[in-house]
Amino acid sequence: MNLLKTLENLIDRPETLGAPERPEGLGRAGLLGYFAGTLGLFVFMRMQSAIPPGVASFLFVLLFVLAANFFFAGVMHLFMDLTGVRGSASRLFLAFGCSDYLLTLLVPMGFFSGLDLLGGFIWLCLCLLAVVYARVRLVRRLYPVSTSKALLSVWLPYAGFSLVFFAAFAYGLVWMIWLIM
Amino acid sequence: MEEQNNSIAVNPGTEPKPAEQPAPGRGTSLWLKVIAVLYALSLIAAFVVISRGDSIRKARPNDMALSKLAGLSQANKKNAVAVVELYGTISQGNSSRSWDHGSQQIARRIHDVADKKEVKAIVLDINTPGGSVGAVQEIYSAIKRAKAETKKPFIARFGEVSASGGYYVASACDLIVAQPGTITGSIGVIFSVSNFEGLMKKVGFKNEAIKSGKFKDIGSPTREMTPDERKLLQAMIDDSYEQFVAAVSEGRKMSVEEVKKLADGRIYTGRQAKDNGLVDQLGDLQDALDAAGEKGGIGKNPRVLKESDPFEQFMSLVDSKMQPFGTKAMSDAMQVSPSLEYRWYGH
Repeated sequence: MNLLKTLENLIDRPETLGAPERPEGLGRAGLLGYFAGTLGLFVFMRMQSAIPPGVASFLFVLLFVLAANFFFAGVMHLFMDLTGVRGSASRLFLAFGCSDYLLTLLVPMGFFSGLDLLGGFIWLCLCLLAVVYARVRLVRRLYPVSTSKALLSVWLPYAGFSLVFFAAFAYGLVWMIWLIM
Repeated sequence: MEEQNNSIAVNPGTEPKPAEQPAPGRGTSLWLKVIAVLYALSLIAAFVVISRGDSIRKARPNDMALSKLAGLSQANKKNAVAVVELYGTISQGNSSRSWDHGSQQIARRIHDVADKKEVKAIVLDINTPGGSVGAVQEIYSAIKRAKAETKKPFIARFGEVSASGGYYVASACDLIVAQPGTITGSIGVIFSVSNFEGLMKKVGFKNEAIKSGKFKDIGSPTREMTPDERKLLQAMIDDSYEQFVAAVSEGRKMSVEEVKKLADGRIYTGRQAKDNGLVDQLGDLQDALDAAGEKGGIGKNPRVLKESDPFEQFMSLVDSKMQPFGTKAMSDAMQVSPSLEYRWYGH
């Protein structure tokens, strides 16, 4: 089954994602989704001159995206498992890859941003919101949970990550002030 | 899709012929193909835009380069005067860490800044009472070598104190600028050793030294110095003193006899030192920078490069803060091992 067929199947019959048999071609589609989404994100960031050029730079971003999503999928699955909901972590990770196809929208949005149609950050936020929305829908397909719980599970790792980041940032700031004083 | 199939089964007569019916998901497939093509096209367009932007950016002078903040950037080739700071007691240091302030690190910094093409002159900002003979001579020889290799002028600037070893280092420079009230001079050598014999007797502590020769425990704080040892140490001090006098004589273009008249260990103010030919000019750091700019051929008020490797500065700051309060001062005070020093102890 080719990639377009797999995606078509996932869009038209999303219930197959939660079926006992894993949808054919999901692995390839998910991983390619990460690649295409990261490429979109990378090109968008390059258009904003926010990251350095080169293949190594792209591979670093790809590695980061894969690692972060692997971690996020793991945390979400753990959360579901702890609250008594059964599902598949590997399918969740691959489904997230499929949701990352939405990040390809960032490439045309990079042009819109260049034309001063909203700022780059706003476009990025809109795209990420679309990804989060898609992920919530996918989580609901993979785990029999309510929308609120799916939303909570999707935001949970982001919130945790942000909390750790801000705690480290605040600690670093206080430490720097102590060093200077 | 299942609902669609069911409806076909229920109302077969009213539905169009199967050949004309769109295949399941055909609309989605078409949309996906259109999106894939648009994505590919937008990617190509984006790569063209990015490569053009990069080439324009490369052609522009890199004024906002982050490396410029690092001070000694390779990207910025505008002529400048480099300032190397020499603060505190001069010693070899206890480590070879690049952010330490031992003589090795200072010698390396002198070598590094002198090697930079954009640096046309070097100002040594000196505020030190001197230090151990070996460490002082390491910095002195680094200046001499850098001068010989690069022919760049070195200017010494005296702050609060630049005595003994501080003056030794400055004598290698082409020009010495001091404040009128700077404490300088103290040309001489000192070897001091404490004698704890009486104290040790009181507390019942006895030290035994088994030695291969009669001078092996010379400078021991647990006993009185012997006349032979005193004679030997005096010979060492005299030799080091001659080295100091020779360095000043060479650097200041004075005869050895003239230097010896001034070199009885006394200290001078900046103005007295100028009157005696030990200092060339009275002034502050800006005067020293102006003089360096003129000697370097880039005029007054030159661009200044401070030794500012951000990593080294940060690590130095962390290192100093990580030491428990007062422990370093305490360990320095407890450092009783005697050594030959070009140092003024009045500071």
